[in-house]
Amino acid sequence: MISIPDQTVDASDGDVFSSVAWRAIDGAAEIRHWGDEYVVYNVRSGNTHLLGFAAGQIFLKLQQSAADAGSLASMLAIDWQLDPDAEFMQQIASLLADLDALALIERA
Amino acid sequence: MTVSSLTPTELAARLKRGLFLRTGAFTVKLQTTIPNVSEGVRLLYADYPLASEDFADFHVSLSRPFNLRRWFKPQVWFRLEGIAPFQPLPYDQSFPLLEWGLNWCVSYHANSYLMIHAAVVEKDGHAAILPAPPGSGKSTLCAALVNRGWRLLSDELTLIRLSDGAIVPLPRPVSLKNASIDVIKKFVPTAVFSRAVDDTLKGTVAHMKPSADSVVRAGETAKPGWIIFPQYQADAATRLEAIPPSRAFMRVADNAFNYSQLGQCGFEALAALIDQSAAYDFTYSVLDEAIAAFGALQAPAPRP
Repeated sequence: MISIPDQTVDASDGDVFSSVAWRAIDGAAEIRHWGDEYVVYNVRSGNTHLLGFAAGQIFLKLQQSAADAGSLASMLAIDWQLDPDAEFMQQIASLLADLDALALIERA
Repeated sequence: MTVSSLTPTELAARLKRGLFLRTGAFTVKLQTTIPNVSEGVRLLYADYPLASEDFADFHVSLSRPFNLRRWFKPQVWFRLEGIAPFQPLPYDQSFPLLEWGLNWCVSYHANSYLMIHAAVVEKDGHAAILPAPPGSGKSTLCAALVNRGWRLLSDELTLIRLSDGAIVPLPRPVSLKNASIDVIKKFVPTAVFSRAVDDTLKGTVAHMKPSADSVVRAGETAKPGWIIFPQYQADAATRLEAIPPSRAFMRVADNAFNYSQLGQCGFEALAALIDQSAAYDFTYSVLDEAIAAFGALQAPAPRP
């Protein structure tokens, strides 16, 4: 079981923040949310993950449809009424990297 | 018929050929000729029903080895279906070994339940689950609660039935260690205890007899109510602090014996439990105050 934070920033996210489209693992995860946190069960790995609000929202968006980091950031910036500045984009990229590392998302 | 309906001689004879004992959802066939096991069963299992002799979930035995160990620093073996899952223990620890062995039988085999390493007590149909590592005061608190109006469902294994999420009782003697033994003896002078056994891996151990009511009502399941992570802390004020359900989920999963084995079923069962429960961290040092705090718990409304 792994908990991942909302706000990690990893300098090695350049690849994630490209035009690659991502999607949630296909039909292979169960998600519940309580308050501002999400618990996700990955059917493929058998692992359970605690996600913060932002990571959970990204996962849900990618369950609905595949998206690349840029368009995902644009959608979330509207939802959260935030300015999609460079720091925001970097955070989205970082969270995508985290979700990828947990095998909760994959390249579309 | 209950164990108390047998005379000590009849009980010893029954144990020699195999005593079929109903303990909650499970029937155990117990075979032994060890006098202190017989005495422990007579004392602590007096109210338990004898089961039909045509089926048992677990066939267990306790016996002395047939070698020099029979005479020199004697030992005792626990066996399930004739196989010994653990190394033998000193002979004096025969009764605690029976209790530990029975817990092991359930925790390794009862996979139609999500099993949480937690005490669980019930009042007005709702269960309070107390998951906690050893040393947290879980069993002490459980022993105190069941002597103050709460029904014992289990002091060690919370069983969540996968088919419907009901909490299934497994009332067995409450295991107390070291200072907790005297704490509960003072708190409940009428409580019945097995003989304290020193120098076990857990220190000094004694078992407290469960109430007859909890044994008689072993077939009555409970609904989820509260998940309370207890922590005894000397001189601490009594404190009940709500914790987010998501965090409670992860902590209960960490305290479950078979969450990972159950896969998606385990996730769904635990999610349903969390949906129906209020979760708290609970710090205490004074048992009367702890009991008052539990008495003030409000049954939670299910989350939408």
